[in-house]
Amino acid sequence: MKFARLVAALWLCGSVAGAVGQAADPAKPTQPAEAPAEGPVEVPTGPPPEEQAPAGDTIDEAAIDADIASQELSGEAQTRLDAARDAVVQIRGFFDTSESSAFHGSGFAVEDGRRIVTNYHVVAQAVLYPRQYRLEYLASDGRTGPLRVLAIDVRNDLAVVAADDLELPALKLRTEIPAQGERAWSIGFPLNLGLTITEGVANGLVENSFDQRIHYTGAINGGMSGGPALDTRGRVYGVNVSVITGRQLVGFVVPAKHIPALLARAKTPLDPSLSAQQLRLRVTGQVLAYENEVLEALPETAGTQSVRGYALPTQISKHAECSTVDEPSPHVRVRVETVSCWIPARIRVQGGVSVGGLSMQHRILQSEGLHPLQFERQVNDLAEAPARAGAAAHVAPFACRDALVSLDGFDARISTCVRQYRLFAGLYDFDVTVVGIDDTQLALVSRLTLQGVGFDSGERIVERYLGALQWTP
Amino acid sequence: MDAVMLVEQIDPHGHRVLRQRFIGGGTECCVGRDISCAIVVEDEHAAPQHALLTLQEDGRVRVRDLGTRNGTRVDGNLVPADTGTVIEQGEIIVGRTRLRVRTRHTPIGQERIFRREFVRRHRTILAIAGVSACVAYGAFLQWLDAPPSMLRSILTAVLVVLGVIALWTGVWALATKLNHGSWHVRVHLTIVSIGAAICAWGYWVAGLVAFATQWSARVQTGVVIVGAAAFAALYLHLREATHYERRIVLALAGAATVVIGAVAWIIAIGVDDGNVGRVDLGPDVRLEARRVVPNRDIADYLAEVDKLKLAAGRERQKSLLNAPLADADD
Repeated sequence: MKFARLVAALWLCGSVAGAVGQAADPAKPTQPAEAPAEGPVEVPTGPPPEEQAPAGDTIDEAAIDADIASQELSGEAQTRLDAARDAVVQIRGFFDTSESSAFHGSGFAVEDGRRIVTNYHVVAQAVLYPRQYRLEYLASDGRTGPLRVLAIDVRNDLAVVAADDLELPALKLRTEIPAQGERAWSIGFPLNLGLTITEGVANGLVENSFDQRIHYTGAINGGMSGGPALDTRGRVYGVNVSVITGRQLVGFVVPAKHIPALLARAKTPLDPSLSAQQLRLRVTGQVLAYENEVLEALPETAGTQSVRGYALPTQISKHAECSTVDEPSPHVRVRVETVSCWIPARIRVQGGVSVGGLSMQHRILQSEGLHPLQFERQVNDLAEAPARAGAAAHVAPFACRDALVSLDGFDARISTCVRQYRLFAGLYDFDVTVVGIDDTQLALVSRLTLQGVGFDSGERIVERYLGALQWTP
Repeated sequence: MDAVMLVEQIDPHGHRVLRQRFIGGGTECCVGRDISCAIVVEDEHAAPQHALLTLQEDGRVRVRDLGTRNGTRVDGNLVPADTGTVIEQGEIIVGRTRLRVRTRHTPIGQERIFRREFVRRHRTILAIAGVSACVAYGAFLQWLDAPPSMLRSILTAVLVVLGVIALWTGVWALATKLNHGSWHVRVHLTIVSIGAAICAWGYWVAGLVAFATQWSARVQTGVVIVGAAAFAALYLHLREATHYERRIVLALAGAATVVIGAVAWIIAIGVDDGNVGRVDLGPDVRLEARRVVPNRDIADYLAEVDKLKLAAGRERQKSLLNAPLADADD
């Protein structure tokens, strides 16, 4: 059961990470070099849209119409789409003066019809590179015009945009979470195929997720990001945000209850004269505030798990979850027990860059009759971590310090490495490896990784982590 | 004592191809293509009777050009047509042929100690020791891995080590055979096996020392060990196998060492310095090993970690210099 929850949490992290090719491990996210902020990714099943055969000429169209009309569900979808059609726009991003769009997503009008809600990741490029990218809307009647970003909520992946001359019929918000099993629809512009509605079922809030996401069992594809998720009464209960690729119909929706606060903030919109650096600082600030809440929240009780005399920190923060994973041993005469902990929270600040992750992996190695030199070799091999993920476009190289340190009850070699984000000077990745060196038959190899945290916050977590490691014979 | 003159012909590679001695004042030596000459040269740029060397009573040599079109040079200077040049020693160029002339006036240096004698004398025992050390290292590495079938792994490693040593020794022995006429197998075997053993065991021991002393310059130390051993081995191989002068051998060995050192460096620290995923853990741990440096306490170490903010900042600055951010106009 625990393992199933782990898998679910991993999927969620992977999906929030967004445009990645597969579900990602929080410790090792896959990060494509420079993914455009297209949001959910095309599920690689089924033939491409172009290849779908058109209906043959010989079929009686009237009969089909009658057939469709008799299908209650499809009729309902049509009603929903017709009611929402004029409120939904396609949001397109252009590089410099280019005429073809670099990325696109969806958005919908709310409030007085002059505010458009979408995902932060749809407009992220335009926020972070304001002189390089411009945004445009494409309304259902074919009108187009420039958009500007009024407010962003990086944590909930939401943004409010507006155009000067654009006023659309607004959709109503529903701030309660739909009950599990409630019928739901998602609208957007998947894969640039034009306005589309998909039908599915809302499955309530995702379990074990720090960030609130509603699990939607229905199709969400790239380009539908930012589009409205509708309930049976045509109200917006959330915003399409992501999908797990390679699975079937596992989509996620940001609950609409986060929208009013953002709309209130949009009353004092982002100053268009803000420099790229200032905008990046804003994004960094939101990330740091979020982390302050997620990572540094102290648990009610400092949780540790005891394995062969080592007390291993598990509840390093209030929101950490752990599982004992059955890891294959690197050698037949070495037994490995692994305790993995992580915080199932990630936010995406840029295409291919997700931050806010914490993961810990404690491994206890027990030698079964190996010579100390042979065991030592196994310990060193296991401690030698696989290279951390990350593209040179997003992060600078690591700077490292290692030393032999007396911890509580045992001596260890501690290696700490820190790297800074190129775009966000206030964000750092931490990588701490602790190897116990006291015993020739029993060794601890423990690793803490933090992704995109503030330096001071990272330091405090490292301190908490090192302070909690303990050996009690 | 009679006057003596020694004339040697030197080929373009600096090797002696002919040596002739003339004794007694007034002795003459004709150089040219004519077979009546005392020194006959196969050189189309030389005249049939090109130059005349006369050994004088005082032991010096008068060099005269016999009216040739190309002239005769002594130590680079053209010999005057009428008087000729008187020398005690020097290099004479006839056409394109080099002749070296020596007389009693040429100073003779002191006898030097023959340094390679030790290797020569003990070559059998040294070769056995070196090969054993290399084989032991190969076997040791396999044993460290504790593979499922230990015997087979060790046997494979030993065969590989022996094969590599045999190949390397064979190449140098062949070169020696071509240059000197003899193989000198045991000498080369000694050089290669002792050099390799120093590299291998030295690197391993350096790892131990690096951990015990918490020495951060371990990679550099390892590269220096490998480089020094490679340099010494290459130098000795070249001295043994070629006729080159000492400085040329030094230069060749040095150049080869730089290349080997660069490769070792790249293997040790990785090619891509800008690899953003590389995490440097420090020296490999030794369990329960004796250590020279006292442990830090946590507070001390965290103060070190604090300095990483600056270090990471510097890495970012470097990275931004290499590849500036897009849209960084402010």
